[in-house]
Amino acid sequence: MKGIGIQPALAAAALFALIEPALAHTGTDTVFGFQTGFLHPISGPDHLVAMVAVGLWGAQLGAPAIWILPITFPLVMAIGGVLGVVGIPVPFVETVIALSAVALGLVVALRLRPPLWAAAVLVAVFAIFHGYAHGRELPGAADPVGYGVGFVVATGLLHLAGILIGTLTRRPLGAQAVRACGAAIACAGLFFLVT
Amino acid sequence: MRPWRLRCLMAALAVLTPTASQAHLVTTRLGDFYDGALHPMTGFEFALPWLALVILAALQGPARGRWLILAFPIGLLAGATLSAWLPGLSFVQFVNIAAIAGIGLLVALAMQLPMAVFLGLSLLVGLANGYENGEAMVFNTDRFLFICGVTAIGYTFAVLALALATSFLVGRGGWRTIALRAGGSWIAAVGIMVAGFQLSGLYHT
Repeated sequence: MKGIGIQPALAAAALFALIEPALAHTGTDTVFGFQTGFLHPISGPDHLVAMVAVGLWGAQLGAPAIWILPITFPLVMAIGGVLGVVGIPVPFVETVIALSAVALGLVVALRLRPPLWAAAVLVAVFAIFHGYAHGRELPGAADPVGYGVGFVVATGLLHLAGILIGTLTRRPLGAQAVRACGAAIACAGLFFLVT
Repeated sequence: MRPWRLRCLMAALAVLTPTASQAHLVTTRLGDFYDGALHPMTGFEFALPWLALVILAALQGPARGRWLILAFPIGLLAGATLSAWLPGLSFVQFVNIAAIAGIGLLVALAMQLPMAVFLGLSLLVGLANGYENGEAMVFNTDRFLFICGVTAIGYTFAVLALALATSFLVGRGGWRTIALRAGGSWIAAVGIMVAGFQLSGLYHT
């Protein structure tokens, strides 16, 4: 490379290009709180598969369960979240979360169609334990509101993913694929339960 | 590439790549009006009640929902002004969080409210939210400009978001109302949890 000072200029440009914003108070802002909350249900495979199963089951049951279950879940989850935030001890949280994956996976795999109220109660019971696990982390979050928004949005999006996959039930082969997804979720839940 | 072009390119790269340091996120350095206008976007506790209220207004139908555009900014203006005269009312924070839970639930239930109740709610949420935003003013803030900024962004948000939500609802398909109601349940869930957190006495901002 010819020319006076081009190599120092290149080196300087490379250095400038590596510069990132200075964050004087890392980990204390709204974005960090949201990010932590958003990643909590996604980074926990037990939460993830159970949430997808709720959406799958809703889609399998059809209207009105397809929207009642995903609307019920976050509302009841919030009650579990409050229990976790306040620090009220709830036993067997991790066990019930793993059980939720087993149970919800099985109902999808077996294509069970209980009355709507029974489906809502089953989902609501599990929602309390999932909410509790999320809520336990909330007091330590950088921004509790951001954390809450993050994990509720992530949970809702996982339900939506389940519903979208569940729309395959309109086709015969798709219905089998959805049931296979349910079986896989139940197996994953069993693995979490054992380990 | 000729050397001078290469130098220009590298200089441009060097100038464009670094971004501003963000030690003090709230201060825009564009003046107190813009500080006020941008402050509601600095936390979900400010933005969520606005969003919930706009969705609730859209669910009320255009004839009733449009009154939000008048009532909400008036509430913001009154609340922010009140914070300048009477600072330190700690219960307002809880009102604001409770509003997230309450309005979220009303949206999830797609509740049709009497006109007076809807107007009162819009004013109350505006008042609490304006007060909370106004609490961010410090001794050297131009209060008039800051309050104008908060009110202006509230008005702009109410107009644009309500238009968007209303036009979303008039489209084809019953799923649209369900989508908004699901959004309401998400907002309510956040509100319930944070309200519980606040009542536990552990939450401080």
